[in-house]
Amino acid sequence: MAQRQTPSTQTPTLLDSLGEEIVRIVAPVSICMFLVVILVSVLNSGDSSFSVSSIATIAYTETTSDSSWDKFVGALLNSLAFVVVVTVATFLLVLLFYFRCTGFLKIYMGFSAFVILGFLGGEVLIFLIQHFSTPIDCFTFLLLLCNFAVVGVMAVFMSKMPILVTQSYLVVIGILVAYWFTMLPEWTTWAMLVAMALYDLAAVLLPIGPLRLLVELAISRNEEIPALVYEARPVNVENLDPRVAVARRRLWRDRRATENSNLRGDANVNVDNALGLGANAELNHGSDSNRNDPSLAGEGAVLDSNLSSSTSYGTYSDRNLVRAEEGRVQETDSEVTTPLIGHGVNVRMHSRPEDADASDENLMLEGIGLGSSGAIKLGLGDFIFYSVLVGRAAMYDFMTVYACYLAIIAGLGITLMLLALYQKALPALPVSVALGVLFYFLTRLLLEVFVVQCSMNLLMF
Amino acid sequence: MTVAAGIGYVLIALGPSLSIFVSVISKKPFLILTVLSSTLLWLMSLIALSGIWRGFLPLKTTSWWPYAILILSSIAFQEALRLLFWKIYKRLEDTLDAFADRVAKPHLFLTDKMLISLAGGLGHGVAHAVFFCISLLTPAFGPATYFVDQCSKVPFFLLSALIALAFVTIHTFSMVIAFNGYAEGNKVDKYLVPIVHVIAGVLTLINLAPGGCTVGIPLLYVVAILTLIHCGRMVWRRLLTENRISLNHS
Repeated sequence: MAQRQTPSTQTPTLLDSLGEEIVRIVAPVSICMFLVVILVSVLNSGDSSFSVSSIATIAYTETTSDSSWDKFVGALLNSLAFVVVVTVATFLLVLLFYFRCTGFLKIYMGFSAFVILGFLGGEVLIFLIQHFSTPIDCFTFLLLLCNFAVVGVMAVFMSKMPILVTQSYLVVIGILVAYWFTMLPEWTTWAMLVAMALYDLAAVLLPIGPLRLLVELAISRNEEIPALVYEARPVNVENLDPRVAVARRRLWRDRRATENSNLRGDANVNVDNALGLGANAELNHGSDSNRNDPSLAGEGAVLDSNLSSSTSYGTYSDRNLVRAEEGRVQETDSEVTTPLIGHGVNVRMHSRPEDADASDENLMLEGIGLGSSGAIKLGLGDFIFYSVLVGRAAMYDFMTVYACYLAIIAGLGITLMLLALYQKALPALPVSVALGVLFYFLTRLLLEVFVVQCSMNLLMF
Repeated sequence: MTVAAGIGYVLIALGPSLSIFVSVISKKPFLILTVLSSTLLWLMSLIALSGIWRGFLPLKTTSWWPYAILILSSIAFQEALRLLFWKIYKRLEDTLDAFADRVAKPHLFLTDKMLISLAGGLGHGVAHAVFFCISLLTPAFGPATYFVDQCSKVPFFLLSALIALAFVTIHTFSMVIAFNGYAEGNKVDKYLVPIVHVIAGVLTLINLAPGGCTVGIPLLYVVAILTLIHCGRMVWRRLLTENRISLNHS
């Protein structure tokens, strides 16, 4: 008797694994935005009489009684001041990195993570306790907060933590900073978003841009930049043979060189590269002895249980690695494992909002890129600014929230496509922020009237 | 009417689509991306429509024909968009097949293509529900509720949630019917989908009359159920013929 099996249960088709990397980045960005929107709508139900003074309001403090022109000029001045501070901080960072003070940078990173989680997190928790009138005493609160902050610092800087904990803490840091930014006055927030997007564009693409210098320094020295970066699937580097880790980074550069020198007349190839985002070059742990062994792919597959659906990609990437090590990169396979190279903005950040004086704001973010393990990396600053945009939209109405969310995700997708296409450092902010701001104003001015008019008469289509 | 009622309205409008999402779409990342992009496309069409109509709003007439023009023009625009969506999907399908050849995987099966069209339809439906119903639900989470004049027995939020549910069904499954119709060249299916959309839109015009919602909404559900049945029959027929072909070949 003939057995009838549906095709999809027999073999895993293309649909099962394509686009997985993109979804793994879109999911935490969505969670971050969603939680910021919830926080904003819960805590800001009254008018925000709590005004925050910081670098971003150093030039002008907005009050509701000023005229529109005053607010506009004030917002421009504020954002200009902010961008200037950020530029100076980034150049300082480049200088420190150039003089190899990585130890100092790492300690500073840990300190800022602790301050964000401890003080900002504590403040948000106090707001929540006030709002919901939760009975809790201060000793318990302090104990829990301290533990939370310390575990967070350890999660962010030690790679022995479970991946989920590290990723959750990074998202929490993003949420806290984004919430704090939404407390800035409205015009300043929008002006700052646009200014940061333009700065991102300039700093990454111009030859004198600090971020471009930083990225080139890091690649030429074969080091990782110490930064708060969300990696979609970080690999435990300590388990690997150091030679393998170094070889992988070198491969990355070599492959970039060979691919740039190869002619790409075929338009299909570029689209395939974009689709090849699903692959990752992660399955190359294992011993250094017999690299030609095809069973290495199997070993890699066993080592990482997450990659059960993409083991087939692993085989290709492994063979690719072997050939690249021997100096021959085949064109056909490289489409599957196209590395996305792009490190974007690098600005460092920490903030102490309880301080009435203007606090220093240095944001360490990195745009979209490919980690040395092959997973997509997205800088925490991008999380933060996306969430600030959506949080600000939430302060107006939920329709703008949905529109801005879709616009930002679309921008993120477009940026990833461009990254695969151009194979060089690209900033992650400009496209998404541009689309987000555009959709916000379009929704607020055009869509809302239309939809409310139709819905109130129960007319829908 | 409190948070519980608000969540209830959200689930009425989006419950079935949530279950489709969790059970079918979340397993394949490509389908999640398809849902997001079709939602975005629908939103862009809605913004374009509101841009065109902005000069005429708010309509202060009590007669029904300006609203009829509004609805008919919007539906015409959206059906044109569906055609565009199909053209884009055709190009994507060729690219995906070529890519599948390169990585030595099988070409897209019929079930895969149907899943993609289901995801596209779900995106449209969710966009409709979100922008016409959910985004107006913010007051429903508070202590009071709201009634419209034409239908003063039922809270407005419940009405819009019910209508949204019907439209989610219509959008989701008519996309499957439409893509299948374009693929097979089946004239019946190709023209059925815009007609169903127009009928559904025109049925909501009945809601303009006082007390009209008691007639309009059940009729809308009849249309939705008919769409569902037609889609089910069509899918069943295609899968049977496909399996018969593959059994004959093997």
